[in-house]
Amino acid sequence: MLYRGSIDDSDPQFHAQLEYAKGDPELGQWLQEQTERYDTIRAKLRGIEPPPGLSERIVRRRPIPFSRDWSRLVQLAAAILICATVTALLMKWSERRYRLVAGAQEILVTGEVLDMTCYIAYNLSGPNHAECARICIRKGSPAGIKAQDEKVYLLTGEPGQSINAELAEYAAQVVTIKGKKSVRDGFAQLQVEEIRKF
Amino acid sequence: MSAELEFEKLVKLYYRDLYRFGLSLTGSEADACDLTQETFYVWANKRDQIKNPAKVKSWLFTTLHRQFLQTRRHRTHFKHEPIDDASPDLPHVATDCVDRVDAQTLLTFLAQLDENHRAPLVLYYLEDLSYNEIAETLAVPLGTVQSRIGRAKVKLLQLLNEANATK
Repeated sequence: MLYRGSIDDSDPQFHAQLEYAKGDPELGQWLQEQTERYDTIRAKLRGIEPPPGLSERIVRRRPIPFSRDWSRLVQLAAAILICATVTALLMKWSERRYRLVAGAQEILVTGEVLDMTCYIAYNLSGPNHAECARICIRKGSPAGIKAQDEKVYLLTGEPGQSINAELAEYAAQVVTIKGKKSVRDGFAQLQVEEIRKF
Repeated sequence: MSAELEFEKLVKLYYRDLYRFGLSLTGSEADACDLTQETFYVWANKRDQIKNPAKVKSWLFTTLHRQFLQTRRHRTHFKHEPIDDASPDLPHVATDCVDRVDAQTLLTFLAQLDENHRAPLVLYYLEDLSYNEIAETLAVPLGTVQSRIGRAKVKLLQLLNEANATK
């Protein structure tokens, strides 16, 4: 009853009936009429043509969807991840640096202003070395202060600001410096806030 | 092949078949055009999700049918005649009876069937889809599709007979 002809020849559900119809002329005739009727109806329906210009209209109005290029999306995600990681690390580093100074103890240190290079490398200090120390500090050599308890501090300014020009004036002189003390890897530093001539 | 060319090729290949299916379902040329167009646009937006190219045709028919079901709630074009669940034998139809009706009359008869029976019958006549594919397209079990086609076919032939008797 549902057999359509050649379309259904490969469908196993019809094999037995088709075999049976081959041996029965009357049934075979009926089956042929049915398939012819099917073909006629099919041909009539398939003869219906869409209105002219339909396909062109569909193509012309085609939507342009957002293209999902997964490799690009993965690259973008990786770039965002890297940027976020770098930003987080920088923030952590900056925060740590800020905490280092913010948490620093404010102290007063009285002692001689040193040219650290000459002092550490050659043990040169005192009035005899004053001129050399002034020149070296002015040129940018690290400056320090040797406290009365023999402890030596590296003198620094605010982050990004050099105070060498100011310290050079006090080279080899005894001064009192007010500043924030902090220690990193065993080295003590004093961020200078105020210098008073002793 | 670029997406644009692929779209154009697909439209050329299937727009007639989809239009006929749409026309048989709705009975309206404008609605059939809209359904056909909308089906291709859905494909354009979801083409990446269709893994098996061999299934494109049945995917298009499924989509058109779903679009039709979505829109039909708002519209009632035809008076549908219920079809008895019992599956009677095929009525005898004179051979030339089918020859005498034109496509438009056939569409009118199809429109008189309820849509649960009309859709599988149209696919049965129009497309070279197997019964499994028709079942897949309409998302109903194979047995249901076959019984609906059988009953719808009986009804259609009855309508053809009645039309023949009145002439």
